[in-house]
Order: sequence, then C-alpha cells, then structure tokens
Amino acid sequence: MATKRSSVEEDSSSQDSKRVRMRKGADAEDEKFNPYLAHQYEEASNANGFSSPLDKLERHKTTAEQASKCEDSDLSPWTGQPHSQRYFGILQGRRNLPVQKQRQEFLDMYHRTQILVFVGETGSGKTTQIPQYVLYDELPHLDGKLIACTQPRRVAAMSVAQRVADELDVKLGEEVGYSIRFENKTGPKTLLKYMTDGQLLRESMHDHDMSRYSCIILDEAHERTLATDILMALLKQIASRRKDLKIIVMSATLDAQKFQTYFYNAPLLAVPGRTYPVEIFYTPEPERDYVEAAVRTVLQIHATEPEGDILLFLTGEEEIEDACRRISLEVDDMIRESDAGPMKVYPLYGTLPPAQQQRIFDKAPGPLRQGGRPGRKCVVATNIAETSLTIDGIVYVVDPGFSKQKIYNPRSRVESLLVSPISKASAQQRAGRAGRTRPGKCFRLYTEKAFKKELIEQTYPEILRSNLANTVLELKKLGVEDLVHFDLMDPPAPETMMRALEELNYLACLDDDGELTKLGSLASEFPLDPALAVMLISSPEFYCSNEILSITSLLSVPQIWVRPNNARKRADEMKMQFAHPDGDHLTLLNAYHAFKGAEQNGQDVKQWCHEHFLSFRHLSSADNVRAQLKRIMETHDIELMSTPFQDKDYYTNIRRALVSGFFMQVAMRESSNSKVYKTVKDDQLVMIHPSTVVQSPYDWVVYNEFVLTTKQYVRTVTNIKPEWLLEIAPIYYDIDTFEKGEIKSALTRITEKIRRRQAMKGGR
Amino acid sequence: MESSSRPPEPVEDEECDYDVKTPLERIRPFGTLHRKQIAFVPASGNPRLGSADTTTTTKSHQDVANIYLSMVLPEDVKPPDASVEMEPAPPVVCDVCKLPMTCLAPEDTPNSQSQDGTPRTATPHENSLAHQLCLPHSHPPSALDRSRMGLNYLSTHGWNPDSRKGLGFDQQGIQYPVKTKVKEDRLGIGMEAPKHQPVKKKETVLDAKKVRKMAEEEKRKAARIRQQLFMRDDLEKYLA
Repeated sequence: MATKRSSVEEDSSSQDSKRVRMRKGADAEDEKFNPYLAHQYEEASNANGFSSPLDKLERHKTTAEQASKCEDSDLSPWTGQPHSQRYFGILQGRRNLPVQKQRQEFLDMYHRTQILVFVGETGSGKTTQIPQYVLYDELPHLDGKLIACTQPRRVAAMSVAQRVADELDVKLGEEVGYSIRFENKTGPKTLLKYMTDGQLLRESMHDHDMSRYSCIILDEAHERTLATDILMALLKQIASRRKDLKIIVMSATLDAQKFQTYFYNAPLLAVPGRTYPVEIFYTPEPERDYVEAAVRTVLQIHATEPEGDILLFLTGEEEIEDACRRISLEVDDMIRESDAGPMKVYPLYGTLPPAQQQRIFDKAPGPLRQGGRPGRKCVVATNIAETSLTIDGIVYVVDPGFSKQKIYNPRSRVESLLVSPISKASAQQRAGRAGRTRPGKCFRLYTEKAFKKELIEQTYPEILRSNLANTVLELKKLGVEDLVHFDLMDPPAPETMMRALEELNYLACLDDDGELTKLGSLASEFPLDPALAVMLISSPEFYCSNEILSITSLLSVPQIWVRPNNARKRADEMKMQFAHPDGDHLTLLNAYHAFKGAEQNGQDVKQWCHEHFLSFRHLSSADNVRAQLKRIMETHDIELMSTPFQDKDYYTNIRRALVSGFFMQVAMRESSNSKVYKTVKDDQLVMIHPSTVVQSPYDWVVYNEFVLTTKQYVRTVTNIKPEWLLEIAPIYYDIDTFEKGEIKSALTRITEKIRRRQAMKGGR
Repeated sequence: MESSSRPPEPVEDEECDYDVKTPLERIRPFGTLHRKQIAFVPASGNPRLGSADTTTTTKSHQDVANIYLSMVLPEDVKPPDASVEMEPAPPVVCDVCKLPMTCLAPEDTPNSQSQDGTPRTATPHENSLAHQLCLPHSHPPSALDRSRMGLNYLSTHGWNPDSRKGLGFDQQGIQYPVKTKVKEDRLGIGMEAPKHQPVKKKETVLDAKKVRKMAEEEKRKAARIRQQLFMRDDLEKYLA
C-alpha cells in the first residue's frame, strides 16, 4: 500500500485504539492526529513516490463525489500504477449501472447505521459495485481490516472477484481476492475478499468475532443457504459485541422485510434493476405431462412469436437432455415444412462440463437464407438459470413449475433430491428472467388458480431441508452453547436437531451432554462431513491413513466415472479394469492409484483419463482436495501411513477403517439370495445401485449415499463383516438398543459366535 | 402470445396449407404434426412483472423504496368477503371459537337469561363440535422417545417436547420436519393424480376362444336372470 500509516479514525472508540496498538506495537501511530507531526506524515507518503487521492478521504465520512474523483484519477489509488485504457472503458459502463445513481444515498445510510438491508434486482450491479463503494469508504488499507462479500456459490465468488479486480484495475489475488473451500486466492495486500458463505463460516470458527473484517456483506441472502442463515444469526450476535463492524445484507427479491425485522428493523435501501415488464400467461387447464407441454410451448413460441431467445426450466439432466433432443427434432421438421427459422438448443445443468456450459452464451443463429426468418436459441436449464446465471437475450421464459430440491427426512435419515413444485417467489424470479433485454413474456404451464393456491410463498430455506450434523458441529465449535434458543431466522425442526446431535454423539464428536469432545473439535477442523472427518482421524489406528485420505478426497468431489450415453458398455468395461471385488470404495482407490501412476510415468494424463472413461477434471480436483486435507492432517499431527501392499490385510484394513466412520450407513441383506437390503436402525428397504462393481455382495455392506429415485438405492458400497461393527462401534451396535427384528437376531448370533470363539481360545 | 391466446383461427384454405403466400403467422404451427395447441391466457389483475419503464425512473429514490414496501406489505390481501358479510346484521361472535353463534335458541337471548336468573346451561352452540375443539385442553404428549440423547440435550436447554413449540429465540420454529414426497409422474401442477385408473386399465389380449367363452358366459348369465325374473311357476302353470 502506498500509504501504510496509522489508522485510527477520528471517532475511534477506546476499543479501536487498543486493537491498533496490539497490532502495530510501539509504532508511532498516533501521528495522524498530531498536528505537530504532520510534516513527517507527508514525507512518508512522498517517500512512496506519489500521494494517493485517498489521502484526502476520511473514513466513514466520504461522499460519492470524492470517491468518483478517486476513480477518475490517472493513477490507481490502490496500486499507485497508472490506470489502463481498459479501466476507463469499464468505468464508463459502471457509471451507467442503476446503483450508481444512489451511491450517495447508500453512503449516507451506510454511515448512519450498523446493519443495512439492501435490495437490488438482478442487473442492478449490486454484487460488483456495493463492495467497491464500501471499499472507498472503509479505506481498509488504513487499518488492515478487510471487507468480505459472501456468495452462495463457488463459481460466483471466483468470477465476481475476477470482474471486480478488472474494474479496480488490480491483479486478482492481490488487492481483490477470493476464498472458497479448497482454494484460497488472497494475499497480504488483499483489501476486498469475495468468498463462499461456507468459507466465512469456517474462518469464524477460529475468529469468533470476525475481527479481521470491518465490513461483511452477505450477498444473495434471499437464497437462504444453510451457511448464510447461520452467518446471519452469528453476525446478529457479533454486531452487539463489535459496534465497529458493519453488516450489509443484500437480497435480490422483494421479501426484504423479513430481513429487516430480523435485524432489529434495520433500514432498507432499494435500487430498481434494469428490467423490463414481463407479460405472464397461464394455461387454462392443468397439464397432463409438463415436459410434453413445455416442448410444445417452446415450438409454439418459435412458430408464432417475434425474435428473442427462449429459456425453459426443467428439473434434471435426463429430463433436459430428453427435451433438447425432442425440440431439435421438431424444429428440423418445422424448418422443412413451414419455413421456420433455425433454432439452437442448449442444455444447462450443474454436472455439465464447463466448456459446454459456456455454449449457452453463444449468439443465436442467423436466418437460414437472406431475408429468411431469424434464428433463435433455446436454453433448457435447471434452476441454476433462476438466479445465479444471467443469459442475455432471453425474451421468453417457459416455466413448468418444478425444480429438484434437496429434502432431508430425520426419521429415515435420508437426504434426497426430489422433484417438487416451486414457490411463488421462485416463479416470479423465473418470470423476471424474460425481461432482461426488452419486454418479455413468461408462459407458465399451470393455471392461475394453481399458482395462487398450490404454490407455497417462499421456498423452504435450506436449513429446514438439510441434515444438520455438520452445522451443529460447526456451531459447537463456534461456541454456541444453547442450540435451542440460537436466534436463527428459521429454526429447524426439533427432530432434525435431535438427529444431528445423536449422530455426532455416536461419532464421539459430542459427549452425552452435547459438549464438544476433543475428537469433535479436531473433526471440525476438516471441511468435511463429520463421518468422513472421523474416519480420516481414526484411520491411523487401522494403518491406512494414506489410503483413507485418498478415498475421502474422492468422495468429496463429483463422480469420477464418465459414462457417456453412446459408450456405456465401453465405459463399464473400463471401470471393471479398476474393480476390486470387495467394494466400490476400493475401486475408487484403484482408479486413483492408476491415475497417479499414469501421471508419474509421464503419460498424457488427459488422454489417459479419456481412454479410461474417467473425469480428468474431477480426479485433479480430488488430487487438490487431497493435498489440502493432507496439510490439515499434518498440522494436527495425524500420522500418514500405509499397510504394505503385499500384506494380505491391505484392503481389509481399509474396509475396517471405512466402518469407523460409516457405521451408521450399513445395510444388511433381508434374506439369503435376496437382492433387497435393510438399513440398520432406520429399516429402509434398499437395493444396491446398479453402478456397483461388487459382484457378490456380502450380507453386510457399508454405503456412501442413499439415492431415492423410483426405487431406493444405496450407492458406492463395500463389503464388511458384522464382527467389525460390534468391535469398532460398540455403542451404536449395542444390541439392547435395537428393536426386535432380523438385524437384532443376526447381531445376537454374531455376539454369541464371538463369545464362543473367545471361550475356546481361553480354554486352550 | 397474442395469437394463441385466442382460439386458433381456422386457416382459410385448409387444403393449401403450405401456400407460400400465406404469412407464416397464419400457418398452423406444426404442419404435419397436428398437435393440439396449448392455449395460454394472460394473467388477470396486474399482469406485468418487473419495474416500470426504465426511461421514466425520475421518481425520487424514497418512492422506489416505498413501492417495494407496498409490494412487500400484505396490502393486496383485500378482505372483500368480510366486508360483504359484515353488512347484514352483525351476528354474535363467540369469544372462544370466534365463530358466529348461528344456532342460538330463541330462549337463549340475553333477555330471557336475565329473567331466569339461574346459571345458564350449555347452549347448543357451546355443545357444537367446533366450539368444543377450541376450548383449552391438554394435548397428548409427544411421541418422541424420551431416552434419546438429542431430546435430553434440547430439554436441558429448555425445550419441552410436549409444548408444541419449535426451536429458536421465541421457540417460533417449525414443529415438524418438512415432508418428503416423491414425484414419479410428469403431471403438471394442479393436475390431480388419476386414482385407481391404472388398475382398471388391465387389458388382456383376447383370442377367439376367450371371446367365445365370454359370450357363452354372458348368455348363461342372461338366461339365469331371465329365469329368475320371468319363469314363475304359477305363471308357467297358468300358461300351460
């Protein structure tokens, strides 16, 4: 920083100055307020070669005009380097954003209050501009306290940080950086930090007061992610302890009143987005098949409506690919038969490779011949396109009214993605997507009556739909003692909370009184699910921490197996090359070892992955995750070791270690030769997912996830022996706690067997 | 979709559907597909979503905030029914169940009560099910297993499983977890799932033999009914 000097604002409270003293020690820092030392001070800035326009600014007293002047100057106030030509180009565009008009109003309000609720529709520029307005007011280079802006999604955090770095004409990772799970791109110079909400939550586990920050901006708060909800509750507490901390809650939708009430009637500032009116249409009758109706509506729009791109919302990969195929076929017919214009159809969903996701931004095709009907593009997307992604040129939105939503049932302990009707708020958000470039139309494939009567007002916030084991562990680590009265905006159901506490209790992360144990405290250091963390921590007891580390990393990334529709058989054959007869976990490990082997042999790894139907992207990110986790293990002295590969217990040890974390995810075969399994304690009837490589599953298997589709499946399974369960998790497998049934009698038999075997040994 | 919001106009010349001179908008959308078109109706009331013209945003920003607030505040929840109902003679509303006491017996009017002077016996209204349900009564205890560690924790921190309350600062949270419902069909929103229809649809392929058998069965049945109805012994005798 050009002017690294002391920092205390004029109205500094005693608390503030104390902190400064602590940080900078005996440095003569009060000189700023000493008129007699003013000359020294000027020298300091001259020594740095230039006097920053920021020198004239006074913290929390700046005006929009002053800030604009700084932005207009030839030298960057943040780096001292001359502004590039590109900078001024971008600046021009920024000045036209809707928020710019209210910069002064924003600053006035910001100065007056500690907590501010800011409502700006998509397109108002709030995510990129507000943090910069705060930057020019907080002047974080003075006291080294950062500004944080949270985002619900990793991709958004990265791309927005890049954009803002460009806007400020600085390098990403220097003055502006980002921090997401398993990736940190910030430096000592960083002043403004974009991060995922989960990342800020993790940071606060070691810094309960969030003392590194002078202002925290919670963006996209209307999405109500689990982490944002927890952060809001924490910040509400912190705000009363730290009066110098400013909080801005930003929402894109109109339900801001809920935020205001929650934050002690915080003032609200609203900025209109750059949106155009959208005309809404409903069907007169309910539809029998919403996919069919959606396809037909798209074609109808193509045939009858003027130029403009189409956005269709569907629920999942399969449905989207199916719809894309059908639309493309029908459009070909239309072109042949009625001289319609060309139409490009693009799918968009989370698991699509990024290169293909990028294609949705391609321009719509032109007319087929001179003077022909104009072409258009049609994007068929999941609800990613609802808020997070903005596609310009969309004029027509087709909304069947469904999306896939995560739902957790604490009674069966199953978390699943289910197709559910959207909420009214969500439907409005979808409709709004049609009015980004010019007035648009939204076609809802349900009746107006259904919209009013059947749709709920707001989507349930994530906290009501999730397994809270991880959250409870984090909260405990954050020092929240009383989870009953913890002031969440939407507290979860008591049963969900109880389940989470019990799960952590069985994992020995919490004791019987709900207090954090040593193991729990250690487990919370890992950005992992508690079961995975516990497995990782206890893996040295089974002499296989290296292997368990690899498996954990592989389970933390999306599926590494690639199975394209046109080469399923080849892909399955390739997968069988890595197969271990005893389990999918072990197969994952084999694939990873082969991948590392290929890398070491100097092969073209990308090519190798392609040949073996493995995802290079996900394997590399697993590799990255592994490195990060390894670092955490090393800092906590968790030993890394392996059983020699020649040892016959190499794989057995790994399987036993799996049990140490996943003993609550075990299923027992219903009857011999049956394909149906029953999950332990939850008594859910399940089948092993057809993707498994295990040819002859044992009577007992441990599974990684429960998949709820038309049937109930368990995916990624490994054979285990029931004796291990009794030995490794004796509390969970205490026979007295089991309900009468096959599992109880099976366990009783096994205990008896063990007892007899031991008696024989003893007798000899 | 202006053109489709009306019932589709019949194309003038049905035969020359592919006449090049017909403007494209008039041609039926899917030439040979003969699909039923989806008709759309514009939204009633305030059909436009989104802010007003961006060109006319000369209002002060306070106004904008007010607009948002007016949208947020439940002003649009007009009580039209209430105002209509309230106009005729205001019915006496019971304090307990907040229902109008429609089933008041004539002797239960205030006048007759004071004449009696005796403690009032339960009126028909008070005996009604709706009223009884609204009376304060104790709820059955929660079905949660009392030995659970999670419950122990929550109750030591002041949550009572039988209180019918949730968690949170004011115990305002939800009481029960959000329900899970698996959707396996593609029925649109508002479409009732057809009940028992799949059972009815059991179609078997019939061959000649089966048809013959069924016909015989029918015949026999008809004969039996006929006999029961018409073949009366006395009548037979008489006719004979």
